Amino acid sequence: MFELDQLSVSFGTATALREATLTIRPGDRLGVVGESGSGKTMLGLSLMGMAPDAAQVTGRLTVDGQEMTGAGEADWQRLRARKVAMIFQEPMSALNPLRRVGDTVADPLRIHMGLSAAEADARALDLFREVGMPDPEARLRQFPHEMSGGQRQRVLIALALACDPALLIADEPTTALDANIRLRITDLLARLADQRGMALLFISHDLAAVARATTEIAVMYGGDIVERGATPAVLKDPAHPYTRGLLGARPDPAPQPRRNGKRPRLPTIPGTVPALGDLAPGCRFSGRCPVELAHCATVRPEMRDLGGRFAACHALEGGA
Amino acid sequence: MGYFLLRRSVGFILTLFAVSVVVFAVMNVLPGDPALTILGLDATEDALAALRDQLGLNDPLLTRYWSWVTNALTGDFGVSHSFRVPVAGLIAERLPMTISLAVSGMIFTVVLALVLGIAAAANHRKAGDWGIMFVSQLGIAVPAFWLAMLLVLVFAVNLRWLPPGGFPGWSDPVAAMRALILPTVALALVQSSVLARVTRSSALEVMRQDYVRTARASGFSRRRVLWRHVLPNALVPIVTIVGMQFAALVTGTIVIENVFYLPGLGRLIFQSIANRDLPTVQALVMLFAAIVVTANFIVDLLYVVIDPRLKARA
Amino acid sequence: MKLPVNLLIGAVLVALVLGAAALSLLWTPHDFTQLNVRNKFAAPDATYWLGTDQLGRDLVSQLTAGARNSMAVALAAVLLGGSIGTALGLLAAAIGGWVEDLVMRIADIGFAFPALLFAIMLAAVFGPSLTNAVLAIAFINIPVFARVARAAANQVWTREYVAAARAAGLNRFAISKDHILPNIAAPVIVQATIEFAVAILAEAALSYLGLGAQPPSPTWGRMLSEAQTLMYQAPQLAVYPGLCIVAAVMGFGLLGDGLRDVTDPRLVRER
Repeated sequence: MFELDQLSVSFGTATALREATLTIRPGDRLGVVGESGSGKTMLGLSLMGMAPDAAQVTGRLTVDGQEMTGAGEADWQRLRARKVAMIFQEPMSALNPLRRVGDTVADPLRIHMGLSAAEADARALDLFREVGMPDPEARLRQFPHEMSGGQRQRVLIALALACDPALLIADEPTTALDANIRLRITDLLARLADQRGMALLFISHDLAAVARATTEIAVMYGGDIVERGATPAVLKDPAHPYTRGLLGARPDPAPQPRRNGKRPRLPTIPGTVPALGDLAPGCRFSGRCPVELAHCATVRPEMRDLGGRFAACHALEGGA
Repeated sequence: MGYFLLRRSVGFILTLFAVSVVVFAVMNVLPGDPALTILGLDATEDALAALRDQLGLNDPLLTRYWSWVTNALTGDFGVSHSFRVPVAGLIAERLPMTISLAVSGMIFTVVLALVLGIAAAANHRKAGDWGIMFVSQLGIAVPAFWLAMLLVLVFAVNLRWLPPGGFPGWSDPVAAMRALILPTVALALVQSSVLARVTRSSALEVMRQDYVRTARASGFSRRRVLWRHVLPNALVPIVTIVGMQFAALVTGTIVIENVFYLPGLGRLIFQSIANRDLPTVQALVMLFAAIVVTANFIVDLLYVVIDPRLKARA
Repeated sequence: MKLPVNLLIGAVLVALVLGAAALSLLWTPHDFTQLNVRNKFAAPDATYWLGTDQLGRDLVSQLTAGARNSMAVALAAVLLGGSIGTALGLLAAAIGGWVEDLVMRIADIGFAFPALLFAIMLAAVFGPSLTNAVLAIAFINIPVFARVARAAANQVWTREYVAAARAAGLNRFAISKDHILPNIAAPVIVQATIEFAVAILAEAALSYLGLGAQPPSPTWGRMLSEAQTLMYQAPQLAVYPGLCIVAAVMGFGLLGDGLRDVTDPRLVRER
């Protein structure tokens, strides 16, 4: 069980994650959505003890009751891979180009689980089968540059699963992949979490993927968790104005023409995500919010219980 | 792969050929009379003529070049004037000394440079990094022969821990190793300064890569991440510099042998200059240049061994 | 703009060495050739700031005269090798094709010869001399500058003003002289500064080995080779010339690195 209590990550005056309070229980499948710069990757890295060296981390983080706030690198090393594993956005560059992918997957099995080389190889083959790698025996001997993006992401998933972690963090696992592979990787992650009873933290800005893969959702903006609840409920009836904007901004099934070579994102939310240092001290969304009140920019809204779901917004106070 | 090997091998042989032409040209075509050089200004005209004839100086240049190369390929480097024995024998006698020094120097250089370079990268922007960078900046500017003299001053003259020079031969391995310590350190400290800096910057570059983050996320120790994931990926530029440093290493052994009076090829070459022993000098220069060219050829092949991606392209 | 630290330290060291060398042309504390055997191995005092050597010659005077000789050798060698190499590089870039390939292959061959090997050959044929040392160091500079000049020139050749010059009917050699050369000056000068440091080291080694300056002309390398035989009597003689070499080499090396940092914005290098 992973418990975050008012966990903050900041760089000088810039706050990348503000007082995040969250509990991840075994088997939870939690989606974290938000734009880039919303702090969702920092949340994932904090759970791995891998926030950048320059960051100041405050608040509390416990893993199965063990206090990890201020824990050293050595303590985190014992948790990584075995308790919590992470797969990253860029499968093309996330694999050591000089090692055969089979060895990459077998390494933690030998080092953390004490398996012999032969046992580790056999286990790596099992993992390749489990993640649906085509022609798994042959793939073990290949180098990353000989594989496609989807295959590499399967290698990274197999690597993350190797030591049976209680929590798998997937940071934008499908963003860099071709559209036709995205769905399959998303479903694979959901199925694996289900079969293994493993908790899944699925970080994405792709709401369709989050809807498929998760049972719960946390919406982030400017380092704050602004809304939390069961995935279908939040997506069907968003409470926070930012979540409403995000849903309205869902890319059409027929992609719009690209502007400046970039996919048009969140066209219905006016303005852009401000730089971390320029955020308002109150609600981070103030300045872009369509229902903004006078005190929004200065007073931080509390997380309110809306009957099993939560949102932090001054406009919701007094039954709005 | 086969094509790559073939191309590199042809290039290697062509370079060796060109080097032999340069050596031959400098030693034989430039104005100057080898017979006069050897016998000195007070030699009689008869003696000069006899020596020119003996050296084959009256033959056409091409003939002389051809016989030099073909003989050298069969291991015949001519006869030394000063020692009056075949040059090949002289070389064979002194080669073990030079190889001992070069090999121990290279090993010490590479080990020291990798340890310092990786340590500096691991402590990026901290005191350890600054310290190592400062020392290596100094090391680049220190002449190896001067460092050698200082080492002798401290460890041989003052402390009397180690011999100031000479080489007892490998029949007494302990004495031989002791005699090699100061020359090796003098050779390696200077060489490893450059290499340590290259190692550091290459490692820093690699440490920014995503796969290093993956290795960390796999729960591996810092040490394991550095030596098993960062270092191998940082090797290509390091190996390039090692190859380029072979020229400096060859120069270094020649100089260091002269500082420590080690009876190797470097000493032989200076004795031969003093004795105006042109065939010996010519053979030794060719040998040293060939070593440098061969080292670079091996480096070319090593790239493919280090990086499987290059194999696909090669 | 904030100047990099290495540039500043390098500039100070270089100014000191060059200043001492220039001063020695006009004035040295004593005549550095003046023998005074009764006053050999004198300890430093008000007259002989660093003492005297085995023949009673003033050390400070010898060191400054040595600076002059080292600078002269390095300057001559880098100028000679640098201008030939730069010309070859410009030529290779201007003509391209097989000529470029040939020049670069020849440059590769040049890399097989350390300066010492070349100096050894020249010394064996002509006898050791300072001229031979200069030629040997100049020779190894040719391929270095050929590579740098060619790489830089090839970049400049792709610029629009070069295309304009071609359209105006200028031939390749005129363009090389009027447009390419001024625009590759920065990397060539940076390289020259660094090679200056290399040349000082090479000259010291050659002189130490007896392949460079011949007695009585003082150079740092030769002073060290004399000091080596006196290590038991006068170890201090082995220290000062070495320190001078280190200061000069470090100065030019740092200055070159600093100049590169300033002139080449593409290279935001980790340090």
